[in-house]
Amino acid sequence: MAMDMDEMLQKIKDRQWALADIDWDAPGVETISEDFKPKLKAFMADLCWIENVGARGFAAMAKKAPTPTIAEIYRYFHAEEQRHANAELALMKRWGMLEGDEIPEPSVNIRMAIEWLDTYADDMPLSVLGTVIPMLEVALDGALLKFLLEEVHDPVCHQVFEKINNDESRHIAVDFEVLDLIGHARARKLAIDFVSNVASPGLIIGALMYVPLLNRMRNNLVEMGLEPEKLYAAMNRFEKLGRRGEFTHRVPLFQVLRVHSKMVVNSEHPYHLLANSMVKLSEYYPKALFRPIPTWFKELTYEPVTTGVKKGMNAA
Amino acid sequence: MSAKVYTTLVIGAGFTGLGTAIKLREAGIEDLVILERADRVGGTWRDATYPGAACDIPSQLYSFSFAKNPGWSRTYSPSAEIHAHITELAERFDLVKDIRFNTEVTKMRFDKREARWEVSAGRRTFHARTVVVASGPLSDASLPKIRGIDDFEGARILSARWDNDYDFAGKSVAVIGTGASAVQIIPELVKVAGSVKVFQRTPGWVMPRVDLVTPEAVKQVFERLPIAQQAARTALFVAHEAAATGLVWNTPITSVIQQAGKLHIRMTVKDKWLRRQLTPDFRAGCKRMLMSSDYYPALQAENCKLITWPIAKITPRGLQTCDALQHEVDAIVFATGYDVHLDGPPYPITGLDGQVLGEEWSGHPQAYKSASAHGYPNLFFTCGPNSGPGHNSLLVYVQGQIDYAVAGIRTIVEQDLRWLDVKKDVQDAYNASIQRRLRSTTWMSGCSSWYLTADGFNASMYPGFATQYLRQMQDFRIRDYEVASNAAVRLWNIPRDLAAV
Repeated sequence: MAMDMDEMLQKIKDRQWALADIDWDAPGVETISEDFKPKLKAFMADLCWIENVGARGFAAMAKKAPTPTIAEIYRYFHAEEQRHANAELALMKRWGMLEGDEIPEPSVNIRMAIEWLDTYADDMPLSVLGTVIPMLEVALDGALLKFLLEEVHDPVCHQVFEKINNDESRHIAVDFEVLDLIGHARARKLAIDFVSNVASPGLIIGALMYVPLLNRMRNNLVEMGLEPEKLYAAMNRFEKLGRRGEFTHRVPLFQVLRVHSKMVVNSEHPYHLLANSMVKLSEYYPKALFRPIPTWFKELTYEPVTTGVKKGMNAA
Repeated sequence: MSAKVYTTLVIGAGFTGLGTAIKLREAGIEDLVILERADRVGGTWRDATYPGAACDIPSQLYSFSFAKNPGWSRTYSPSAEIHAHITELAERFDLVKDIRFNTEVTKMRFDKREARWEVSAGRRTFHARTVVVASGPLSDASLPKIRGIDDFEGARILSARWDNDYDFAGKSVAVIGTGASAVQIIPELVKVAGSVKVFQRTPGWVMPRVDLVTPEAVKQVFERLPIAQQAARTALFVAHEAAATGLVWNTPITSVIQQAGKLHIRMTVKDKWLRRQLTPDFRAGCKRMLMSSDYYPALQAENCKLITWPIAKITPRGLQTCDALQHEVDAIVFATGYDVHLDGPPYPITGLDGQVLGEEWSGHPQAYKSASAHGYPNLFFTCGPNSGPGHNSLLVYVQGQIDYAVAGIRTIVEQDLRWLDVKKDVQDAYNASIQRRLRSTTWMSGCSSWYLTADGFNASMYPGFATQYLRQMQDFRIRDYEVASNAAVRLWNIPRDLAAV
């Protein structure tokens, strides 16, 4: 049965939460060992920036939404992804991973994702954004967050991620509903959309950005002790959820991502030779070529309450 | 003793009500009364006292052609000056004696037997053969329905009911809304407040406003040579009419206007993300165009910040946005506009056969030429359904409505009619044509605005040039109305309530 988007929007409005709802000084910090901290910091930094990147993705999707209600839902999701990033930054602050006003440096792959989003996202059709975003959400929700909850025993972290997971389950429900809607279009339109976008520099560069970003996350997780099967299970969920939709299978990019995820989950697949080389290569990408970090990326903050106006990094 | 029956009762002593009274007098109808709920004349301009309040149509056009003001101080005069002009009109035309101040209409009913309107205002009741509703579409305002709004412990200030006693100096202020009043308030608040956070839901198209001081010499010329002022007015009128080709109808000119709006953003906003946040994603004209040259610079001031996250709720100490942050502020300015009464005036109006206008207009209000509604005889609306301009001065349209009402009232008086009631089929045909013509307008191009009802019906805007609107309003045709004559009652001694022919 089709989802009632008005009802969903109301539910989203009813379930808002704030950083101030959480007691960031509650006991539990001691559960994070000093040895684990550097790895966890790198993981959290990537996670936090990926949420921020996802937020920007929703901002682009809001402009392409098929109905005003879905546009409004995306407007909320944009803010909610930002909220997740803020909450994750606040956890890092709680765990003593941030000195003073320090904000973690985004990795080179995140910087590439930022550049791509800033340049191409607003021009991407819904059929592209509406397929890639669910993939990222499923991977994040399924693997990264579950991993965190297994490895980290800080009750505040669990409290935060319970809230984040609740938000994410609504995001995923809407994502796949919209993906099904996209699949409902005429085959001819889907084909033209796909062919014209595959040939576009936006999607080619996007793929060059996406492949190493995903593999870097995978490698980081494996390095931290996550069984790769968990990530794979999460990525398989993308296919499972997509199969539930009546029309999702008709979206060409869904099929591409589905096949791609099969390659990612098979650690023996030669794909990893290519993907890992791209991760390595990206390390050598000259930083001077990056354009200045856009201001939307500087809006993150761990401060629950703000007074007055601050501009620039760590603004509120 | 029988109650006094006025020839005409006018509701509201703003620009429109006073203009109506002036033209009625000019037509020889002296027996009139004006009911005003406040203690002074001025309407919206009496109440719009927020900092920066000014008209966004050039003053030369934002006045009646029959009562011009040669002394406008600027291209776009501030609210106080417009209010002073309205006050001066009341005095110049000796209208104050006919105004009953502090008299708020609570209901009105057409007495079919006596063929007159019975207008209640508190404990008082007025009777009149004809009524002109001049209470304006933008006369009421209330706090928006935002979760937690009653919990806020700081100052809550409505743009339309400004609290002039509140001192903003050094305060942390939130402004909710980025519409016509917000773009005027924000630059002024930024000058005095400690910090200003602007909460935006949808950005509007903002065009630069070239607001110049009128040189004394020009005022002198306008004073001595009214023809020169009329020429300036005509030139402005024609220029605004030309804009209709892009602002009323959704055409390639609309895209050109959007490009001009984007160029305005490009030239005045440095940051790419802020430019994106400020760029509208609806067709120019679909919502009201905003005029300001100091809004974008104000948003980029050191003490100002634009926030586009949705507001989750208002808390006792400020606002909570959906990115999980709480913004503590001393005051919240609600620049959320007016309660637009698309379903008719906010008081019940009972018609010829006991029907209630608010119920009939609920959802899809309809009138003939925006002025007459079937079943409500001898009643003339100003700013009625489908009378709004998207590109020209409201007062130009109002002047047409006044002319129409005066023509109708003169007909009733001169032909000694009991009533004039617009024919249902005439009204229906007119509205069918209006709705057909509306389809190709910018207002129906997909945005949501206060021009439309909840289900997307356009009952507020007139789909055409001002010239077309004025032409239809100058053409009062008695054949469009069912007429009940006093002569018939006298001649054939027929029951009064059956006297319609």
